[in-house]
Amino acid sequence: MTTTPVTAQTDSTEGVAKFSVRGLDFYYGDFHALTGITIDVAENAVTAFIGPSGCGKSTFLRCLNRMNDLIPGTRIEGRITLDGADIYGPGVDPVDLRRRVGMIFQQPNPFPMSIYDNVAFGPRLHGVKKKEELDGIVEQALVRANLWKEVKDIMGRGGLTLSGGQQQRLCIARVLAVQPDVLLMDEPCSAIDPTSVQKVEDLMAELKSSVTIIIVTHNMQQAARVSDETAFFLQERQGEPAELIEFARTAEIFTSPHDRRTEDYITGRFG
Amino acid sequence: MRENYRNELKAIKAEVVDIGRLVIEMSRDATVSLVEGDVDLAERVITADDDLDTRTLALEERTLETIATQFPVARDLRLLYSLAHINIHMERMGDLAVNIAKATRRTAERTGPRTLYDLIRAQGNLVHRVLEAMLEAFETSDLELAYKLEEMDEPIDHLFKQFFRELSRLQEEEEIEWASSMVLASRYLERIADHAVDIGERLVYMVTGEFEAFDESFGDEGESPAS
Ligand SMILES: Nc1ncnc2c1ncn2[C@@H]1O[C@H](COP(=O)(O)OP(=O)(O)OP(=O)(O)O)[C@@H](O)[C@H]1O
Ligand SMILES: [Mg+2]
Repeated sequence: MTTTPVTAQTDSTEGVAKFSVRGLDFYYGDFHALTGITIDVAENAVTAFIGPSGCGKSTFLRCLNRMNDLIPGTRIEGRITLDGADIYGPGVDPVDLRRRVGMIFQQPNPFPMSIYDNVAFGPRLHGVKKKEELDGIVEQALVRANLWKEVKDIMGRGGLTLSGGQQQRLCIARVLAVQPDVLLMDEPCSAIDPTSVQKVEDLMAELKSSVTIIIVTHNMQQAARVSDETAFFLQERQGEPAELIEFARTAEIFTSPHDRRTEDYITGRFG
Repeated sequence: MRENYRNELKAIKAEVVDIGRLVIEMSRDATVSLVEGDVDLAERVITADDDLDTRTLALEERTLETIATQFPVARDLRLLYSLAHINIHMERMGDLAVNIAKATRRTAERTGPRTLYDLIRAQGNLVHRVLEAMLEAFETSDLELAYKLEEMDEPIDHLFKQFFRELSRLQEEEEIEWASSMVLASRYLERIADHAVDIGERLVYMVTGEFEAFDESFGDEGESPAS
């Protein structure tokens, strides 16, 4: 496959690339949603995707764990590698890929079962049966998700009885329980209380030594606070596909962005 | 669009420009007071500095509040950050003008050699050219003009050195006391221009996002009695 020319600087300034994306185009049927996306996402770092509504952030995120495969009529061109291996290559099991590349959504979506069972769900599916082993995995995942202290005495209660912010951290624990390499977070804090936002931001900082994190956020301050690198996407004209405009160290994006369009967006001049 | 925020940024910048005008007026009056021996004018400069201090302090507060509540980024952040620095430079320039005015108090009783007056007058004129250019570069974000400031500053440093040499020719005890006040004033004038050059460097960062120190081929060699 060929790589289309790119305008944005695409090399990660951080260490090793976890995801390498080259010349990616994406279509929903006739609708061309993304074009020419080339980017290296750094391993064990937090990368923020920002841009106006409809610029394809969620679409791109779903390309990274092949969730778009589940939407009929979609088509992808270009190449995405995870640790050097093509994730759309033959012999790749999308279910296994989605375990390695977990996803958190805007609306927390715990299963209608107990807190414990929510977190144990994945490990059980992968064949962990022993009670002590499961207990250990569940506890560790809840600790990493910054929720353990709040739920350790109510593990049998329904996940849906928790507050929204706690539910979101429960979903994070559920993903972490299957030991993912990458966490994709699509506006994970848009629907939760400030205390939980703080806890999610804290856990991201703690997790990033072992997990690569990509977060989509509409909150510029959040992007500035939590991420190491920031990618700005923009659909310049209605009906045309969105592009990656600029990708750089977060501190640089928020002090001296190179592209006028990035500057206009983050300073609130449009969007 | 964040209308109120945009307007506040504009207003803060306009206030710094206004403060700049006040500073130019103060340093011009201070120089005139010195060469004319006009003590009343010197007192007016000293009084004006209270106003300047109040305004620079208020501006600092206003800038901080905007940073705290509006989370400026990118060029807005660079603007506010640079304005805060420029504000401090303005405040110091005002202090230097006051120092010159105080030298007027000490020297007005006597008249020294014509050559020294001519040198101070010439230096003052050059300093005001630098200040006017600085303010214009700042108001219009004119980088080309900002880059010229360093060059315009060079002869001022030369005049200070020449002043110093002239001074060493003086013999009489009493005249030396008078002359050392004058040479300090010359030094203050030179420092005022240095601040203007520093503001030029800030402007470059404000506009481009690149930190850049202007060429220091004629920079400070000696001690700095006031900064
Ligand atoms: N399932 C779908 N079928 C067809 N078009 C879609 C589908 N999902 C998204 N799109 C379109 O693709 C474009 C990108 O949408 P996407 O949801 O990726 O944007 P986004 O940047 O995540 O926006 P937001 O910030 O509002 O979440 C939009 O024009 C959207 O209408
Ligand atoms: Mg989205």
